[in-house]
Amino acid sequence: MNSINNVFYAIWQQGLRQWRRHWRMAESRLLFLALLVSVTAVSSVTFFTDRSDQAMQRQASKILGGDLVVQSTRPLPPVYQQHASTLGIQSAAITSFPSMIRINDASQLVQIRAASTHYPLLGSLSIATTLDQAGIPTPFSQLQSGHAWAEPSLFAALGIQPGATVQLGQSTVKLSAVIRQSPDQGAAVFEFMPQVLIAAKDLPATGLLTPASRAKFSLFLSGDSPSIQTYRAWLEPRLQTAETIRSLDDGLPSMQQALQRGQRFLSLAALLSVILAGVAIALTSYSLSQRETATVAILKTLGASRKHILLRYTMQLFLLATSAALIGIILGFLLQYALVYLLQDWMGEQLPAPGGLPVLSGLLTAWVMVLGFAMPQLTRLVTLPPVHILQRHRPVVLNRTLIIPILALVSGMWMLIWLQVHDTTLSMVLLAGLLVILAGFWLVARFLLWGLQHMQRHLSRPVRAFLNLPRANFRIALLIMVFGVGFFSLLLLTALRTDLIERWQATLPEHAPNYFLINIQPHEVSAMERTIRQYSQVLEGTHPQLYPMTRGRLTHINGQAVVASDFDSRRARGLLDREANLSTAQTLPPGNTLTQGHWFKPGVSTGLSIEAGIAHVLRLKLGDILTFDIAGEAFRQPVTSFRTVRWDNMQPNFFILAAPGALQDKPRTYMTSLYVDPADQQWIPALIRQYPSISAINISTVLSKIKTLIDRAAFAVQTLFLFTLLSGITVLFAALQSQKAERRKEIAILKSMGASHAYLRRSIISEFMLIGAIAGLLAASLAMLVSNLLAYQLFDLNPALNPGLLLTGMTAGALLVGTGGYLNVKGLFQVSPKALFQEQ
Amino acid sequence: MTQIPTAPSRNTSITSSHLSKKIPLKSAQDLIILDNITLHIETGTSVAITGTSGSGKTTLLGILAGLDLPSSGQVHLLGTEISQLDEDQRARLRLGKVGFVYQSFHLMSHLTALENVMLPLELDHTIAAPQQQATQALQQVGLGARLNHLPSQLSGGEQQRVALARAFVTHPKILFADEPTGNLDQQTGHEIIEHLFTLQAQYRTTLVLVTHDPALAARCERHYRLEQAQLELQ
Repeated sequence: MNSINNVFYAIWQQGLRQWRRHWRMAESRLLFLALLVSVTAVSSVTFFTDRSDQAMQRQASKILGGDLVVQSTRPLPPVYQQHASTLGIQSAAITSFPSMIRINDASQLVQIRAASTHYPLLGSLSIATTLDQAGIPTPFSQLQSGHAWAEPSLFAALGIQPGATVQLGQSTVKLSAVIRQSPDQGAAVFEFMPQVLIAAKDLPATGLLTPASRAKFSLFLSGDSPSIQTYRAWLEPRLQTAETIRSLDDGLPSMQQALQRGQRFLSLAALLSVILAGVAIALTSYSLSQRETATVAILKTLGASRKHILLRYTMQLFLLATSAALIGIILGFLLQYALVYLLQDWMGEQLPAPGGLPVLSGLLTAWVMVLGFAMPQLTRLVTLPPVHILQRHRPVVLNRTLIIPILALVSGMWMLIWLQVHDTTLSMVLLAGLLVILAGFWLVARFLLWGLQHMQRHLSRPVRAFLNLPRANFRIALLIMVFGVGFFSLLLLTALRTDLIERWQATLPEHAPNYFLINIQPHEVSAMERTIRQYSQVLEGTHPQLYPMTRGRLTHINGQAVVASDFDSRRARGLLDREANLSTAQTLPPGNTLTQGHWFKPGVSTGLSIEAGIAHVLRLKLGDILTFDIAGEAFRQPVTSFRTVRWDNMQPNFFILAAPGALQDKPRTYMTSLYVDPADQQWIPALIRQYPSISAINISTVLSKIKTLIDRAAFAVQTLFLFTLLSGITVLFAALQSQKAERRKEIAILKSMGASHAYLRRSIISEFMLIGAIAGLLAASLAMLVSNLLAYQLFDLNPALNPGLLLTGMTAGALLVGTGGYLNVKGLFQVSPKALFQEQ
Repeated sequence: MTQIPTAPSRNTSITSSHLSKKIPLKSAQDLIILDNITLHIETGTSVAITGTSGSGKTTLLGILAGLDLPSSGQVHLLGTEISQLDEDQRARLRLGKVGFVYQSFHLMSHLTALENVMLPLELDHTIAAPQQQATQALQQVGLGARLNHLPSQLSGGEQQRVALARAFVTHPKILFADEPTGNLDQQTGHEIIEHLFTLQAQYRTTLVLVTHDPALAARCERHYRLEQAQLELQ
């Protein structure tokens, strides 16, 4: 046993000794740096996703609030609850809707949640009686009648303390406690309104719930699995339109889907730095293998076997990879705190501690990188004949078969992609995409260089000189390709982050409405119109129109029942799954353009005008008869026109507009949008005091919150792209290092022919700046193309040229590569040609 | 041409019999570098091989050292016929018993003088205290004060002395030297030769030396000239 220990100790000692010695080689340090950068990038993301995944799983059932939830936009039949109790299933009902809370002159839009006694079925509520106190688990049944519990942000927004009495519709309510934690709190994002919990029995007294209210009625059910299944089987055939069932199997809530997509994006950002670092590793390993030929030959002459050589490099790379991975994992662990800080608003709660998986993933990444990118090159040295050491003037002839290194490289890349996305098909697609981009950069670079060579008579002398160097074309194209990919990833995100948001904001007119007033009751319409006229000065000359809103669900087209699953389009299915808002208008609203048919003639009270996009996905044509279910009654109308709508004009926009008067006898509320000068916003609380049921939504607050969220998410991704930049710089040095011997020789030849320092400096700087500029230009062009495609796909924005991006790409590329290249090579200028020849 | 006894004897370090090396060419006749060479080098002696550039001296050296294999004929290195051995078996045969000195020193640029000399000792795990032995070897060549210098911090002569220390540190039975003074000025070359022959005598090492320098060749006990693929004793 002791002797085994001794052998391991000896191997370990030798490994460490070798490690120290190899550290002196620039190539080893570059390999280490490339590995460190990639493991740090990967593990910071893996730590983050591991923690947020754990939180998501923990939250999933809590967010759902039960094993099964029935939801509707209309009150649920009492029999649903009665049948559940006969099966021994516990149930709790919640009605939620937006409304305003008022105190003195202040008002705040909130989400009211009126819950029955058994709420919550899963998890527990935690409340505090002061703003600075920690939460104490408290059953909901302790909420007294006439009291409400609210989230801390409501107290902050109104500047009040727990115990304050506020106005909620027609009721006066005491905000007796602060909600510290509620089980179905969910992800915090997009819940711009603080939640207020009241007892269900207090709801009627507020007078806020009318047939036209935008309320959501939920029935939470919890029980053993067979009972729940029996209940579901009983319920499904009884479901009315607008009623849906949700369970854990139905997928994650949309917020968590967004977080998952975000995680994937972060993983891809990390992946890009890993791939770039992989390029750096492959290049460095190539120069290391060239440099180590003499070492291997000498070791062989001294009696080292092939096994010894193989073990030597394997151990070397293993030690290098493992040490870089361990440091990278520690750095990644620290960095994930920054990601958590930036993305905390996207997650509802404190994150649990990370598990051990990220450590494994960091180590695996480093090992796969050396196995795929470094080992194949270095193990080729094993085949080097020892007699090479005596053949001074013969070039090194290693095993020429490139199949194994290429296979290892491609499968290494695939493994790394898979480690990030955990999806075989997606990893294949990404690998193919990456190879296509690399090949594209390579071909375009070769083509550009070919073009430059053909017009070189017109070029400056230094540029001409470098184009004439033997093999320079290949070398330059390689550099352009690796820098191009690095710059592309950086520029794409810059384009997405700044360009898109700015372009979208630029499409808004200067005085675009910043307030939406909803829930205006029919009897308040004429008084509202008078009030608006009265305040017309504040409204900056705009004349807002009040639109009725009636909720209806499309059930038949030309008498044929429509089923959501018959349509491929997600938009169509979305429209059919829930109730749509129907409105009417005397004249074509601003931002709308008729594409087919005629607008409603005065006095006509039948006909529908449908938004062209939705008409297309529902395959509608003029004259089709649509049937809507409005509060249980059929509403049948022919399609008389189609129109396009500018959705982003901040005006109330509707998919479906009916002829004026067509909805006269249907339950409805009214809405409008206004521009209110930010200096005169006290006008809004006065309005709410006058009309208690109206809810005012401040769009600018919502917009700025969305913008902050997007900005922070983009910043998190950009943090990751910093690693891409670092990897890019590693590639720069790796590429320069791999060509240093060749360049040393060229400089020696040029100097021996009488080239001055100034000439060499000029020619080196021109070469690198040209490489950087071409790489930057290619990268910016591709980034512009991709960002425009995304802009069109995601935001419906028209393609736009961004010459600034091209200029930034070219300039940044030229400066970065020019400086890096010059700094790397300038040491060679000082050496005399004789000394250069003597160096090995 | 000189005929030398072909059978290896107890006092023989290297023997070659009917050794030939040909390079097959696609478009012309085979290129014959060495033709039917028979050679017998006794233990502890010094042998010089001279010849014009491209005459095949280095090829012969490589084959005698077991770094390369002949196209035909036999080579016995330390009593073992090498043409039947694979590369690893030949390497094992050299381990600790064969040393090399090259024209361009071939020191590892990232290793210090001491670490370069320790290299052959580290290959043999049975050797104790390699650092101590390597230090002694460097002291022997007058570099006791430069142990931790990198090759780039040493002059050409000093680098070749490190190479000598590396070659002799295992007390090899045979030393192959390929133009050991080719990259040095006359004075430094002379010093190196003195060190080389002193160490060779001290360890009774068989020395096979390839050189252009007639004066250096003359210091060896035997001097062969390689011309037109044939070896002639001078």
